[in-house]
Amino acid sequence: MSASVPSVTETMVLNDGDLVTRSELEQSWRFPRGFVGWLRNTSHLSIGKRYIITAFVFFGLGGLEAGLIRLQLSRPENSWIGPDLYNQIFTMHGTTMMFLFAVPMMTAVGLYMVPLMIGTRNVSSPRLNLYGYFTYVVGGAFLYFAFFVNNGPDAGWFAYTPLSGPQFSPGKRVDVWAQTITFTEISALISAVILITTIFKQRAPGMSLNRIPLFVWAMLVTSFMIVFSMPWVATASQMLAADRLVDTHFFNAAEGGDALLWQHLFWFFGHPEVYIIFIPALGMVSAIVETFTGRPIFAYPVMVLSLITTGFMGFGLWVHHMFATPIPQLGQSFFTAASTIIAIPTGVQIFCWIATIWAGKPRFTTPLLFVIGFIITFVIGGLTGVMIASVPFDLQAHDTYFIVAHLHYVLIGGGLFPLFGAFYYWFPKMTGRMMSERMGKWNFWLFFTGVNVTFFPMHVLGLEGMTRRIYTYLPETGWGPLNLVSSLGAVVIVVSMVLFVANALISWKRGVPAGDNPWGAASLEWATESPPPPYVFLHVPVCTSEHPLWEEGETRPVVTGLRTDIRENLMTTLMDAEPDHRHDSPEPTIWPFVAALATGVMFITAIFTVWGLVIGLLLLFPPLLLWGWPRKEEQRRRLAGERDPLARAGS
Amino acid sequence: MKTYDKVLDVTETPTIVFGRRASTWWGTTAFMAIEATTLVVCIATYLYVRKNFHHWPPAPLRVPDVLRPTISVTFLALSNIANYWLSRKVRALDKRGTQIGLLVMSTIAAIAIVLRVFDFRDLNSHWDTNAYASAAWISVAFHSSLLFLEGIETWVFTALFWFGPVEGKHFSDADDNCVYWYFMTLVWVPMYALIYWTPRLM
Repeated sequence: MSASVPSVTETMVLNDGDLVTRSELEQSWRFPRGFVGWLRNTSHLSIGKRYIITAFVFFGLGGLEAGLIRLQLSRPENSWIGPDLYNQIFTMHGTTMMFLFAVPMMTAVGLYMVPLMIGTRNVSSPRLNLYGYFTYVVGGAFLYFAFFVNNGPDAGWFAYTPLSGPQFSPGKRVDVWAQTITFTEISALISAVILITTIFKQRAPGMSLNRIPLFVWAMLVTSFMIVFSMPWVATASQMLAADRLVDTHFFNAAEGGDALLWQHLFWFFGHPEVYIIFIPALGMVSAIVETFTGRPIFAYPVMVLSLITTGFMGFGLWVHHMFATPIPQLGQSFFTAASTIIAIPTGVQIFCWIATIWAGKPRFTTPLLFVIGFIITFVIGGLTGVMIASVPFDLQAHDTYFIVAHLHYVLIGGGLFPLFGAFYYWFPKMTGRMMSERMGKWNFWLFFTGVNVTFFPMHVLGLEGMTRRIYTYLPETGWGPLNLVSSLGAVVIVVSMVLFVANALISWKRGVPAGDNPWGAASLEWATESPPPPYVFLHVPVCTSEHPLWEEGETRPVVTGLRTDIRENLMTTLMDAEPDHRHDSPEPTIWPFVAALATGVMFITAIFTVWGLVIGLLLLFPPLLLWGWPRKEEQRRRLAGERDPLARAGS
Repeated sequence: MKTYDKVLDVTETPTIVFGRRASTWWGTTAFMAIEATTLVVCIATYLYVRKNFHHWPPAPLRVPDVLRPTISVTFLALSNIANYWLSRKVRALDKRGTQIGLLVMSTIAAIAIVLRVFDFRDLNSHWDTNAYASAAWISVAFHSSLLFLEGIETWVFTALFWFGPVEGKHFSDADDNCVYWYFMTLVWVPMYALIYWTPRLM
């Protein structure tokens, strides 16, 4: 660990009562053992961690596909990869990065961190959380199985009709894409519902709306965006599957359908999707900036309002993806204006972070370096975004590498840089060990260099007319040198990623012990052990200010009266987080896992026959019934000690 | 070195609450928002493809029949009287009343599902005829999936309250089921008007 990172671990003194409480909580919240226990574990700590690791595995696969793309394009008339495989590879890359990495990763960090940050012991609906995770795994595994047997989707990650329709894409490749979308959307929607209910009802007493950490606010806004955007693509992908399987005509112009309908339905989801990835990242940035400058974020209410404004405005931009289609001029003007205006709330946040850094005492550790990398990279991506918000320019740049450069600057700048910063920031909390600062800085500088060397030349290539999704090009185009530079940049990114993985693995095993609060941070996730025990908090904290750990004195205010012999959470009121009632948290069970498998059978069979839905529902019914059916032993423990039910109801 | 200071005792807080005090109510509400959005997508699709046809429904399709769908939607709307009665019994923690109410609602759900078969028939089209028919079918189909799943949930609650070990929290869950029934039945009213009546007007 670098000397610039002070360790300010506080040791809590436990009295006899605390020791008894800990012993009881260890018993009631213990993780089930063994592999089957892993399948049953409903703790957000376990599910969040495995979500993060699984998303990183998919990130690695998507990165390998990106590497293959850069290898193929590194010189003109390259013939290593043929056009058919190339189509599959770029579709797999986009689908993996958007649906199997970016969104699940952001919600996964939320599922792990939000309960810690708001001071509760588990998310609401933990069994549903387990089901969501396995549904995601089944969907991702299915996509890659199809790819490895030469049935990977090949119509692009947004699967435009009529290319993706039955006439131009016979076979099952597009159906694989459509059902993968269904799996991942179910998983994301479940995560969103869980996060909303958890944030609304399970905040520590005293954590009123104006004391919620900005990352939690960001996850709340993101969750609402998921709720109102993902049903669009989930429904549209079912329509596409129906067009292909049972001859409906939603996107078939010959029978009154409409190819542009697909674009509207897809992008009404697709544009908010960008913010679903970006807004959690903004929350991560705020958490990091606050901790490493040692002062409260500048203009907290403005930051919250900016997040909410971005969330709303994210739904009003989708047509800017369709400027090359026959959109009425008034529509073009409206969406140009909207696309430009959304830069305002983001700009406000960037100025607030700069003001915070300016007024604070910044410690330039790896997390803060990634934040600065985010600001630079994302601002470049944002500026090209303002350029292509203009219809005349967009018509020139549409479907060229200029767009590829823009979207990678936005998504890598706005998503990956903050994510890596957050990983370095919260790794000590998740594992109990620090990551190496020296390797972290190498990781950052190589990544920052690699990203810019890879993607900046693409702006020029796009302006020179290189269209996206071409598997090769002629030497006479003159695109060879810049493509080679871009591919060499990708090599630098790969080196930085190898360093990142090595740092994470070595640190996990042999890193310096972190203690509870190694960075001297203010929020509640640092008020428990690292890594947190299964019961998360020995005593549920009481939140006394916006920065509870900075402002507490010699004692830490906590709640008493929650049962320790069963899993019990404290529920609080929506606005002011006043204690409202106690609610038991369900125990581990295998049935969500079985239900996820049944869901897999249902959607995969439905690719081949519509009867798959019927078969799947029949398979789903038993696990869904058994999932919620109370077990007598659990119930006996829950009912022990309860008083008159009418009194308990508070009626 | 710090110590814990137990400043807040929550021993006396209740363990059963209803409505927006309960986290399950918020979960149910969020899922209603998701499903309502799904239905909005169906409606948007139906209206979007309208511009591609001179006639609605396009010839030679006949307009949907309205008699049986009207009986069906009226039945669903009126079922909320029984649903309201059930929710009152649930909130009073009246186990006997809840058992009876759930049995009634289970029967209503079964009848509604049977009636829904006629709703499909009375569209007077087949999903693969043209985009109009596809859009009409998927609108009815998506809502039917909600009806069917709500029916299953009601049957499970009925089985639980009659045969299972009932806890206080199950009353709160049953109350959320009543909330979902309101949503599922009432959202069908504008969809029914759109699918079965607008072809006569557009």
